[in-house]
Amino acid sequence: MEQSKKIANRNSIIFALIYGATYLPAVWLLKHRVFGQPISIIIAIVPIIAFSIFIFKLIKAFSVMDEVKQRVQLEAVVIGFSLTAMLVMILFLLSLCDISNPGWFGYANLLGYCWLFYFVGWFISKKKYGI
Amino acid sequence: MKNTIKVERAKKNWTQEDLARQIGISRQSINSIETGKFIPSTVLALKMAKVFGVNVESIFQLENQD
Repeated sequence: MEQSKKIANRNSIIFALIYGATYLPAVWLLKHRVFGQPISIIIAIVPIIAFSIFIFKLIKAFSVMDEVKQRVQLEAVVIGFSLTAMLVMILFLLSLCDISNPGWFGYANLLGYCWLFYFVGWFISKKKYGI
Repeated sequence: MKNTIKVERAKKNWTQEDLARQIGISRQSINSIETGKFIPSTVLALKMAKVFGVNVESIFQLENQD
């Protein structure tokens, strides 16, 4: 049981790193328009596949965590989701007032904020349960 | 909810790590439960009672505000 927990945890970390390793080069290649559109689409799909596998492994790791760690993850996701939803709502309402800053709040930035909010939630929850 | 996990551990001369290994959770989780920051599920409470060889009620007791 302990061994399967460690394997599940390790797998999720490995695929998180693979996702990071595919995402950043893909963004660079697509931003600099190194290839034509058909190859660019394939390049764009690679990190999506890596991310899908990472999410699958993360859910698997979540299912073998003990209940305290599950609670910490659950609260982290709730806080992360709530803050992301609030940010998107604020940006939408501001865009209706013709106030927007794509340099700071583009899709790529939103993805970063989403992860940031998740880690904020994780930190808060870890503190709360003393883990 | 108060608990007597620390007392029961002391009786058996177990560390948090020993107890964690016996019931299949992490040491940090035991610490969280022992300090009352997390209330365990019925299954986990029963597992603890089983390894200590006592009733659940003797480990976990309700307080007036519960």
